[in-house]
Parts: sequence; C-alpha cells; structure tokens
Amino acid sequence: MTSFNPVFVYIALILYASASVCYFAGSKNRGVVRTAFVLSTAGFVFNLLALVNRAILTGRLPLANGCEFLLSFTWITVLMYLIYETRSKKKSAGGAVMLIATLLLLSVETLMSGQLDDVSPLLPALKSPWLTVHVLTAAAAYSGFTLAAGLALVQLRSTGLLPGEDMIYRIVAIAFAMLSLSIVLGAVWAEQAWGSYWSWDPKETWALITWIIYALYLHLHRQNGWKGKKASIMVIAGFVLVLFTFFGVNYLLSGLHSYALNPAMQTWSAQTS
Amino acid sequence: MASVEKIYRLISSMKTGLVLLGLIGLMSAIGTGFRPNTFFQTSLFKLMLLLLFLNMGLCTLNQLIRCMKRSSKSWGKNRLRQAGLLLLHGGVVLILVGGTVNSYFGHSGELRIVEGNKVDVARVIPTEKPVLLRLDAFKIEFNADGSPSQYYSHVSILEGNKAKGNYRISVNHPLNYGGIKAYQQSFGYLVKVRGESATGEKVEKSLHEGEFLEIPGTERTVKVYKYIPNFAPNYGMDSKTLRPDNPRIVFSVYENGKLLGVGAAPWGKRIKIDNRIYVTFKGVQPFTVLKVKSDPGLPLAAAGGVMLVTGVCLAQCLAPVGKRGKQSASSERKLEPVGGIMDGLQ
Ligand code: HEM
Repeated sequence: MTSFNPVFVYIALILYASASVCYFAGSKNRGVVRTAFVLSTAGFVFNLLALVNRAILTGRLPLANGCEFLLSFTWITVLMYLIYETRSKKKSAGGAVMLIATLLLLSVETLMSGQLDDVSPLLPALKSPWLTVHVLTAAAAYSGFTLAAGLALVQLRSTGLLPGEDMIYRIVAIAFAMLSLSIVLGAVWAEQAWGSYWSWDPKETWALITWIIYALYLHLHRQNGWKGKKASIMVIAGFVLVLFTFFGVNYLLSGLHSYALNPAMQTWSAQTS
Repeated sequence: MASVEKIYRLISSMKTGLVLLGLIGLMSAIGTGFRPNTFFQTSLFKLMLLLLFLNMGLCTLNQLIRCMKRSSKSWGKNRLRQAGLLLLHGGVVLILVGGTVNSYFGHSGELRIVEGNKVDVARVIPTEKPVLLRLDAFKIEFNADGSPSQYYSHVSILEGNKAKGNYRISVNHPLNYGGIKAYQQSFGYLVKVRGESATGEKVEKSLHEGEFLEIPGTERTVKVYKYIPNFAPNYGMDSKTLRPDNPRIVFSVYENGKLLGVGAAPWGKRIKIDNRIYVTFKGVQPFTVLKVKSDPGLPLAAAGGVMLVTGVCLAQCLAPVGKRGKQSASSERKLEPVGGIMDGLQ
C-alpha cells in the first residue's frame, strides 16, 4: 500500500449508516437487530483497515492530523459500543451511536478528505511521544462521551424505569478520567514544545469547558441526585461541547491549537526574518 | 460568631464550588469568543480563580483532616477512592497555586542571537550573576522533500568568562540550566553584503531583511528585501522550501528614496548598480530566536498535575458502583457511608 485507499472509509461509512438504519428500524425485530450488529462489526473492520492503511502510509500511529484523529475517534467509539452491546445485551442505543459514527466519517470525507492522502512528514513541533499519548487519551475520552450521549438519548426518549443511568455515569466517569489525563499530557507537551503549559488558546479553553461540564455532572449526579432527564440533558450537552471543541474550534474560531492550522507552528515555514 | 461560621461554610461549600466552576466555564466560553487575547488576564477572571482556589482549598483541607482522623480503618476500596478524590481536588488546588506563583514570580521573553554572538539572559530573566548564551551554530535538518525536520541551536553557556558547557536546543527539547529554560522558537537570517565604490573603497555589512546598504560616492542605495532559500518562479516571493537549494536575494535599488528597480541575485554575483558602483551578496548569517523563561511555580503545578491524574484514575476506576452498573451509586452510598468532603459541609 503506497497510497491511501479511500474505499475503506466509504465502505465503513456505508456499513455504519446501514447498521444505524437497521437498529432504528428493527427495534421490534430480533433478526434485523442482529443484522445491525453484524453490519457494525463489518464497518468496524473497514474502519480499522483505513487506520492501518494510514499507519503503513505514514510509518507512524494514525494520530497526528484531524482526519486520523476522527478515524481513531470513530473506531474507538464503535469498539466501545460493540463491547457495551455484547456485555449488556442492550441494543437500544445502537441507532444513535451508529448514526453519530456515520456522521463522523462523513465529516472526514467532506471536511478533510485531502488529509487522507497527505504523507508529508510531521512538523518538528509534533514530533513528541507526548503528542501520541495526548491524542490517544483524547480520542478515548471523546469516544466514551459519545457512547454516553448515545445512551442518554435513549434515556431521554424512554419513560418509566431508567436502567441505563448508572451505566452512563460509569462511562462518563472513566471518560472524564481520560480527558483529565489528556489535558494534563497536553500541558506537559506544550511546556516542552512551546515553553508554557497553558496558554488559554481556544482549543485548550474549550477542552477545559468540556471538562468542567462533566465535572459538574459527576458532582450533581452523586451529591444532589441528579438523575433522569436533567442528567441525560447534561451528558448530551457535554457531547455537544466535545464536538465543538473538535470541529468548532478548528473550523469556526480562528483555530490556534491543533493540527489544522497553528500559527505557532506555521511560523516555522513562514518566518525567515 | 455564628455569622463567621456561616461565611466559612458558604465559601467552603461544594454548592458554592460548583457554582464557581460553572461560572468559570461560562465566562471562559464567552471570553474566548469575544476577547481571546485579554479576557483571561482580567482581574474579574483572576478573582474567579482565586475564589475557586479558596473554596477548593478549604474544602480539601477539611476533607484531609477528617480523613486523617479516621485513618485507623483499613485501606479498603472505598478508602482508596477517598484518597483518590483527595488527591484529585488537592491537585487542582496546587495547579492554581503553581499558576499564581508563575504569574507573580515567573519571567519569560525572547532572545535573538546571531551566530557567533552572545547575549546576556538577564535581558529577560533576572539572574544573580551574568549568564551569557552564545550561539555557536544554527542548523536546520531537512526531510527528503525539503520540509524541515528539526531546528537546532547549538549554544554555549558562559558565566563571567567561564564556559559552562555546550548544549543543543531543538523543538521539543528545551535547554534547562538551573531554573532557566530556553526553547527553540524561531530563526532568521542576516544577509552579508559588500558594496564597492567608484574609488575602489569597500563596505561590508550584515543586514536584516528590509535594511539598506549605503555606498560612498553614489546617491543610490540598495535595500535587502528578502532572502529566498529555494527560489522557484511559480512560487513568486515565497520560498519553495526552507532548504537552500536555489538561494536568491531579492533586492531593490533606490535613488533619493525613489525606487529604480528590483532584482533577484544569487550568491557572489557582482551587480552593477551605478557607474563603477557594485554590490555583491555574499551569503547569510543565521540567527536563532529562543524563548527564555523561568517558572518557579512549575514544580507545584507539575505536582498538582500528577496528583490530579493519579487521583482521578483512583477515584473513577474504583468508582463504588456495583458490578457493571447494576447497583446504583446512590444506594451504595447508603449502604456504606463514604466519610467524605460531604460531612457537615453542605
Ligand atoms: C475543579 C474541578 C473539580 C473536579 C474536576 C472535581 C472532580 C470530582 C470528582 C471526579 C468527584 C467524584 C465524583 C464521584 O464520582 O462521586 C468529586 C467528588 C467531590 N467533589 Fe469535586 N471536583 C471539582 C471541584 C470541586 C469543588 C469546587 C468542590 C467543593 C468545594 C468539590 C467537592 C467535592 C465533593 C464534596 C465530592 C464528593 C466526594 C465523595 O463522593 O465522597 N469538588 N469531585
């Protein structure tokens, strides 16, 4: 494989989309839901192929630019969901989670398709083992929050008993630990690369805001007994913040941090005076 | 007395803490949108952080005291979780302290050093005795495609007249010398130019981009406009890569402030700019730009970071929720009261 094969992403996308449709359509039909699981697993395999393809192409872990991050993020989300479904035997969140996975891959295709073929070597600032662990933990955290949001959506729609409540709490708690780790590792890396561990750039700030909303959720859930609708809305709001931290900051605000465009890193090619 | 206790409770309560946390989040969101560069330095925002520090500091202290009183019990899973929560909250407090120490006692600034020259660090950081940084060489390492793979500043440290050693600074590998850290931040070039006057007199100078060379015996001056390391016609005034594969100097010639023309010269070519007046671009002399800083709060913040991460992992991975969430967190708490920050502080 000397070039990127975009077919992997397309196939994964179509499989995720079909899985989502099957989950939604077949909520009363066991056969259809089983098909949905198979479709998800197949999509998961093609998602993995796309990642391996990138890794071989670049000779490093696929964690260094926006599209690689999204491919990893989607893959870990689906991995977590498949584990969740297998262990809990609950399938009601499948439609929502697979729909999100589909949209994430769709955004790879529409917003950053150029990055799939990009094999340019890493910028000096990105050459750090801290980057790898920082991005990996961020992807894991985001995936956990995504799964939690999928479950929370189901909670919101269902009435009566809410059996998923503690599961959501547990997933958010672990994802929160991951996000804390990611932020601290990012700070360690920033200290080494730029000489300041926190600069209040939009990416950092929004990651902090995301962290804060989940910290509030964890407190309110346990101490003030926030359950049910209020808690679910908070988990979903947290997920919206996750999305904003990734897409919004990169594409709406004049992105400072991140792989997309970083003036601090750009100076390396632009500044000769 | 009762009102003092009331105030104490108010500032150390979790409710207040959560309100503060929420406000800080909200203000940050608005701040990045409207005043990304200044908002986080305003006194209002700093006040919020101070209040959060007070609140969490007291809250954690109370918890610590309560925890120590009860230390006779054995270390079960729940105790470990309690320790985790203590570490986590204490870590946040330490990070806030570290940041504050840095903002009051830390220093940072840029040093620009031309190859072969030395600069006193005291320009940006107060030092007891003079610490000089000399740039011995600045080098860029390139990938096969001509893109930069790493930037190196080879420096020597001199205290007084004594050499204290040679160091190599590169991106992601700062120099750490007794609390002073130096980071590879940027770089640039001076251009070596020689002018020859009609009488055969020679002037030689190293000029920044944008500077002028004046030659005796003529009204004309030469402006060093830009150094292009890898000139390619379809890239215009941009360099194709940073690798000096096809170096050119873009220059312009003026007479009494009026532009006469522009040109792009290779190294060593003698260019006639007036009757028997010549200019020759001889090469470049690189300079490095280092970010130099001292941060006495860093060890505190780092300790806080380690505590935060350790604490959050201990607390969350040992979350006292029953097997795979079958048992509710709240019922668990009723079963086995977690002596906590909670007690009496709400
Ligand atoms: C800066 C952000 C903060 C973070 C990241 C944070 C994080 C956490 C986490 C993860 C928990 C465990 C939640 C659980 O699973 O029960 C927790 C518990 C707690 N936090 Fe915070 N917290 C923060 C601020 C505060 C503040 C400001 C206060 C109040 C002064 C506070 C008081 C408490 C209390 C009382 C508990 C309950 C301990 C227990 O369950 O026994 N926290 N915190």
